[in-house]
Amino acid sequence: MALSSFTTPSGFLLPSIHSAPPFFTEQPNPRTQAQFTAQWTRLILTYARHRKLFMLRVEDAEVAGGDWDEILRNERINRRILPSHLSSLLDTMVASEQAAFEPPKQSRAAIIYWRTPEEWADALHAWAVATGQLNTILTFYEIADPPVPSPLSGIPIPLLRRAVTFLVKSNRAQIISVADGEGVRLFAAK
Amino acid sequence: MGANQSVPKITAQDRAVLDLKLQRDKLRQYQKQIQGILDREYEIARLHLAAGHKERATVALRRRKYQQGLLLKTDGQLENLEQLVSTIEFSMIEVSVLHGLKQGNDVLKQIHKEMSIESVEKLMEETAEAREYQQEIGEILSNRLTLDEEDAVQAELAELQANAVRDSKPKRLIPFLRCPRSSGSERYLNQAPSYHPHRPCHHWMAPRKTKVKRRLPPLAWTLLTHYHQVPSRPRERVRIPA
Repeated sequence: MALSSFTTPSGFLLPSIHSAPPFFTEQPNPRTQAQFTAQWTRLILTYARHRKLFMLRVEDAEVAGGDWDEILRNERINRRILPSHLSSLLDTMVASEQAAFEPPKQSRAAIIYWRTPEEWADALHAWAVATGQLNTILTFYEIADPPVPSPLSGIPIPLLRRAVTFLVKSNRAQIISVADGEGVRLFAAK
Repeated sequence: MGANQSVPKITAQDRAVLDLKLQRDKLRQYQKQIQGILDREYEIARLHLAAGHKERATVALRRRKYQQGLLLKTDGQLENLEQLVSTIEFSMIEVSVLHGLKQGNDVLKQIHKEMSIESVEKLMEETAEAREYQQEIGEILSNRLTLDEEDAVQAELAELQANAVRDSKPKRLIPFLRCPRSSGSERYLNQAPSYHPHRPCHHWMAPRKTKVKRRLPPLAWTLLTHYHQVPSRPRERVRIPA
């Protein structure tokens, strides 16, 4: 049985295991299930990196028409991943620090860390240096949604906040808060 | 390690700038909202027209026009805000430039205090005196040389000058093909080379004593003889000038 890999309309190459019907069911054998879980987490991370998606919700498996449909459903073999399976996948990913529940203390939605907060912090600093915005006061909204698309466009604010706290710890940023909101000022690395 | 060791303090101006920027962000979000409403109203008008309700379509379009006016006004306000923000940032930079100038000025004044003009003049006079003294001593010492050694020195100088004149005569430099004997650097010859038409390099050849029968067309002959692949040809004497 030859499995074929398939390129989705958005330009993402799906692995050949995605065309195998057993991939979409939760396996009773723990060893196979572990293998499949590893494959699923890798697939989710690569797809998120490719399309720059941040949030994965359990309802993406329940309802069609979201951003993750190309992964969570396979129309050619008429299979889709069930919400319970996706929920356990999310739990595994959060346990292995590849995602984090957002908002915390619930298990329906999570931010996918296709880049760790430390890497995001470095990317933020590099972007500030490249656009000459060191030592200027920036708002969180300005960083997440700049008029010119940047590597940080669309980053959710909690992830941005985590990256900024990491920079504060390494003495490269400073958070300023006023009554209305918060801002951050980045400095050159010493 | 203290909390804010290498990080500057937050001043009231920073908070003011942050306030302005937050206002600007709010305006931008409002603009996005209005843009969304515009698109929605356009769709609604289209649907009504498709369904045949012309008045409802005109009402939707009129609403859309009003929103567009709002958008323009917001644009104007946004421009004002951004101008204010950039003026404030520019004045902060001016302040830091002024501060830098003042510091540089202070440093210069301090240096000048250490270096007064009188002390510099005195130093220069002392140096001039010492130089004259040294020159006198040198003359006295050089007078120790005998007269014949002086003549020998003058003769050597004359010879050196003659050599320099000879070497500075421009030589005809001919570009050369890849000659295995050339050292890679151009050499000036003591005399003009006898240019052999089939040997374009400037290693000149002694004139031929025997006439060699040419068997090949000139270029091929050149290339072959150049690399000494014609065995029956007598070995050429190549004099490479030192």
